[in-house]
Amino acid sequence: MTAAIPSIALVGNPNAGKSSLFNALTGARQKIANYPGVTVERKAGHASFADGRPIALIDLPGTYSLTPASPDEAVTRDVVLGRQAGEARPDALIVVVDAANLDNHLCFALELLALGLPTVIALNMLDLAERDGLTLDPARLSRELGVPVVPTVAVRKRGLTELLAAVDDAIRSHQPRDAVPAPQTDASLHQRARALASAAIVTETPVRRWTQRVDAVVLHPVAGLLILLALMFVMFQAVYAWAGPPADALEAGVGVLQSWVIDTLPENFVRDLIVEGLLAGVGAVVVFLPQILILFLFILLLEASGYMTRAAFLMDGLMAKVGLSGRGFIPLLSSFACAVPGIMATRAIPDEKDRLTTILIAPLMTCSARLPVYALIIAAFIPDRTVSGLPIGLQGLVLFGLYLSGIVGALVVAFVLRRTVAKGNAAGFMMEMPRYQMPQWRDIALGLWQRAWIFLRRAGTIIAMTTVVLWLLLSFPKASEGESQVEYSVAGRIASGLEVVVKPIGFNHDIALALIPAMAAREVAVSAMATANAIDADGDEDAMAETLGERLQGKWSLATALAFLAWFVFAPQCISTIAITRRETNGWKWPLFMVGYLFVLAYAAAGITYWTAVAFGLG
Amino acid sequence: MTALLGNVLDRAPLGVTVRIARIDWDAMSDDEGRRLREFGLMEGCEVTPRHRGSLFSHEPLALTIGRMQVIIRGKQAAAIEIEPAA
Repeated sequence: MTAAIPSIALVGNPNAGKSSLFNALTGARQKIANYPGVTVERKAGHASFADGRPIALIDLPGTYSLTPASPDEAVTRDVVLGRQAGEARPDALIVVVDAANLDNHLCFALELLALGLPTVIALNMLDLAERDGLTLDPARLSRELGVPVVPTVAVRKRGLTELLAAVDDAIRSHQPRDAVPAPQTDASLHQRARALASAAIVTETPVRRWTQRVDAVVLHPVAGLLILLALMFVMFQAVYAWAGPPADALEAGVGVLQSWVIDTLPENFVRDLIVEGLLAGVGAVVVFLPQILILFLFILLLEASGYMTRAAFLMDGLMAKVGLSGRGFIPLLSSFACAVPGIMATRAIPDEKDRLTTILIAPLMTCSARLPVYALIIAAFIPDRTVSGLPIGLQGLVLFGLYLSGIVGALVVAFVLRRTVAKGNAAGFMMEMPRYQMPQWRDIALGLWQRAWIFLRRAGTIIAMTTVVLWLLLSFPKASEGESQVEYSVAGRIASGLEVVVKPIGFNHDIALALIPAMAAREVAVSAMATANAIDADGDEDAMAETLGERLQGKWSLATALAFLAWFVFAPQCISTIAITRRETNGWKWPLFMVGYLFVLAYAAAGITYWTAVAFGLG
Repeated sequence: MTALLGNVLDRAPLGVTVRIARIDWDAMSDDEGRRLREFGLMEGCEVTPRHRGSLFSHEPLALTIGRMQVIIRGKQAAAIEIEPAA
């Protein structure tokens, strides 16, 4: 044994509770990055043995065997075989198996044991197995397999110390041995696994099949769809209803910070840059953190409870009609939070053309970066009242409509793409359906924290930088007395050029100005408008006191506001999405195609919205 | 390859446990076949079809195999010949 920190890989089937176990072992001490050269997420973390010696843990993508069907599964194979570039072969394996699904999970465990590495089996989710009427004999299983078997309940942190102690022993006492061949055919492997499972099961009372009882309703051909629709509806209403107080608090906080800077610093260039550029711009975006976290909370809960796969099952029939599969539903739903993880999640889609189409339509799902834009415009232009006596807010309904437009647009685009540029075989859909589980607050909190951190880091880097650059472009050259600074500035002149192009679809100078920096990220449109308005209001006490929404109300027609919303349903204004698409499709062809078709759609949608609204007298 | 003559899983009634008599591996890709076997769907094992499609479609099919529930499409289900369970 070397003195180096031992590295231990967690490996197992999908749905074995591997990530919960990883979270329980490492806590918040995790680092998420990518494996070099491939776009598979590498989750690593630290833990320590009971005596304090540190260990490095990595969580490998779940898979069924060492024969991969997707890029993530290939990483798992390559890491455990020591073939992954830049990744040392692990010193030991923790093979995570679901105690309630031994016949299946032991197949992969047998394949991994045959590799000859120091190995410990974590017999995970023992509590759920007991709930299902199983009594197991870990000692017997350990004798049969010839390696330690440690019962664990990751969510209750049960068995963790014993697990690590067993790993420590396994590494110390390991005799280098040749790999033992696993049973050669799938059938014999399964036979051996089933024999082992039945040896380990002491008693098996008739299962209380409450998962099946729930599924009878949740997967019902009609009721199931209604439940799914209702869940999505509640999710989008909650984004609005719950985010109010914390968002107000954040906004007040930014205001306090601005006043404090104004009172503290002497009046000069730096003070203006901080107050009008940095704080107005970044502040306008940060206030949307509560909404983004609420959206992610729902997605994480749906995923952790096992409902997400049911949703995929229900949506598969519809998605098949446009040439996609239910597998695509999960990446697409994640894209409601952010297209970047959504596009990365398409790696689980085995069919290449199916995957390409899913990537190309992912930006049509309304991501959280559009929320600041939608929220600002809706709050300013859509009255805050209920719809004809029903307990449904009109503002929430408009938001729901925007989401729906994106979804319908995506289905139509997928239908066209699968018959033209992404033509191919009908996509397949084979997936395991996990049991329902109570989501664990620790896993959810950790997920939320990671998302909040990514958002704030973006606000602190990309958004802060673009708003500062915009502020500079807006502040120079200095307009003479009586002229509008915004119109006179470099940015104002560029915007005037763009305005010619976007004028037919109802866009004004404000919007033209916001669209350019919003290429970096959509929410920058809001911070750009905030910065421009702060400069415009410079010195004017009344104008400073107005919120951005109030100022826009005075300057825009309803038709313009609606056209602006329609634009953002389609516009591909996000550098990160373009970059991830380039990486995931290995070239510039598809990202350029995506940007092109989305801008055409955005222009058309905004135009149609504007002209229709004007025709109804809203111009 | 001869077409399957008997009853296939794609047309099996829901909630009734059946045994897999034969699988026409040629009717699907290698990857699909391997994933079926990884799920444990092999000749001789017993499965119970549970749910089929939604308002939109007859597909996919959710079935119980051992202690697992898995989802497959009609194309694979049509390649799986079944017989009554013992």
